[in-house]
Amino acid sequence: MNETTQNLLVFGGVLFVIGMVGFLTRRSLILMFLSLEMMLSGVSVNLIAFSRHHQNYQGQILAVMVLTIAACEAAIALALVVSLYRRKATLDVAAWDDLSETLIPKVIEAPQTLEEPAMEFPKLTPAGLDPLSRPISANFDAQSLGNGESVKASTLEAGTNA
Amino acid sequence: MNLLNNYFLNSAFLAQTPTDGVDPSAASQIVLQAASVNVWTSSMLVPIVLGAVGYMLIQHGVVKSKAFLGGGAVSLVLAVGFALGFTPGTFESYVLMSFCAVATGGGIGFLTAREPVYAALGFATAVLSVCGVLFMQSALFIAAATMIVYAGATIIIFLFVLMFAQQTELRTYDIQLNNPLVAAAIGAVLLATITMCVTSDNAIMPVKVDSTRAMSAASLPDSLSSEAGIEAAKKLDAIDPALRYVPKLTAGLGRSMYTDYLLAVELAGTVLLVATIGAIALAQRTTETQS
Repeated sequence: MNETTQNLLVFGGVLFVIGMVGFLTRRSLILMFLSLEMMLSGVSVNLIAFSRHHQNYQGQILAVMVLTIAACEAAIALALVVSLYRRKATLDVAAWDDLSETLIPKVIEAPQTLEEPAMEFPKLTPAGLDPLSRPISANFDAQSLGNGESVKASTLEAGTNA
Repeated sequence: MNLLNNYFLNSAFLAQTPTDGVDPSAASQIVLQAASVNVWTSSMLVPIVLGAVGYMLIQHGVVKSKAFLGGGAVSLVLAVGFALGFTPGTFESYVLMSFCAVATGGGIGFLTAREPVYAALGFATAVLSVCGVLFMQSALFIAAATMIVYAGATIIIFLFVLMFAQQTELRTYDIQLNNPLVAAAIGAVLLATITMCVTSDNAIMPVKVDSTRAMSAASLPDSLSSEAGIEAAKKLDAIDPALRYVPKLTAGLGRSMYTDYLLAVELAGTVLLVATIGAIALAQRTTETQS
């Protein structure tokens, strides 16, 4: 008697695990619901085994309730599957992934801190006149400094640097 | 109501489990069944791991030849026969074990079939065999209701929808599965845990009958309502524990359902009604004139 109970509990566990693996792996909507029903039947076997073991009817009544809820679930699931099939003409559960949160990527990546690359400017030798320390007057005449050619070149270079 | 109260008060016995938290006097307890023995061995892990590995091989297309599958089936039959050699079983236990084996085979077929229709047929096989197991456990009403509801209604309607949506060629979502490796690993660990918990020492508590607490007249068959009845029941248990249940079981189930669990039955009926209305509302096709 106890060996029978133990065997039936293991058998219910086997049915439950088969249903769970099917639910995790299958992608067709109907087969996922069939896997759910398989899990429920495994639970029913457990309930019946304990009902017989304890010699009362509580487990059987719970199994009747499980059966009732399974029937309700099958009816609503079929209605849902039919209306979903009318929308997209596929039974793939992945077609409805956009019902989930789409802003979050599926593979959560590590947050990256953006580092500004250090800008390196070319270092030029200072040349010519500094217009801040010695402002150039409006009537500035480069010819008055004497060496016209070199000054003109240095002012041009300072202008391009600024 | 008065009749029901008298009915409850007249019942003197009920099944008392140690988990009830009540500690009745030891004299009023009659142990009907001893606690379970430890039958756990590490070799029970071998078929679980082999099953997971075989599932992975089938899923990845390594095993395609029918010879491999036939060899697996033959080894499964040999393993069952080897296990039966250790069991000093009766004819009923052999029938029960064969029902369990057929149900497991149907479940494996459900799990590994590519065609959805074949998967549904494997599921139907598993459910019908589970009905046989329940029948052997003398849960006659549950077996009949499961056969009618699952195999009769649910499977047929699901097959209708499958054939309605079925194309001639296999779709990609029938071939490529979601994470079979992870699922097989989780399933193997869960099944190993269940097996270890169930078959370890004193996992199933002994069943005692407490004569001090009366809870329901429907909790026990009528043959247990007196000391002499208990003695007679213990004598019957020595022959076959199922003997004293079978004739009155379904009647007792209905009695318990409509006395002790009347509210639950009403709530279940309400849930059925709500589900019917919801299914009709969901499946209704909205026409263009309404919108």
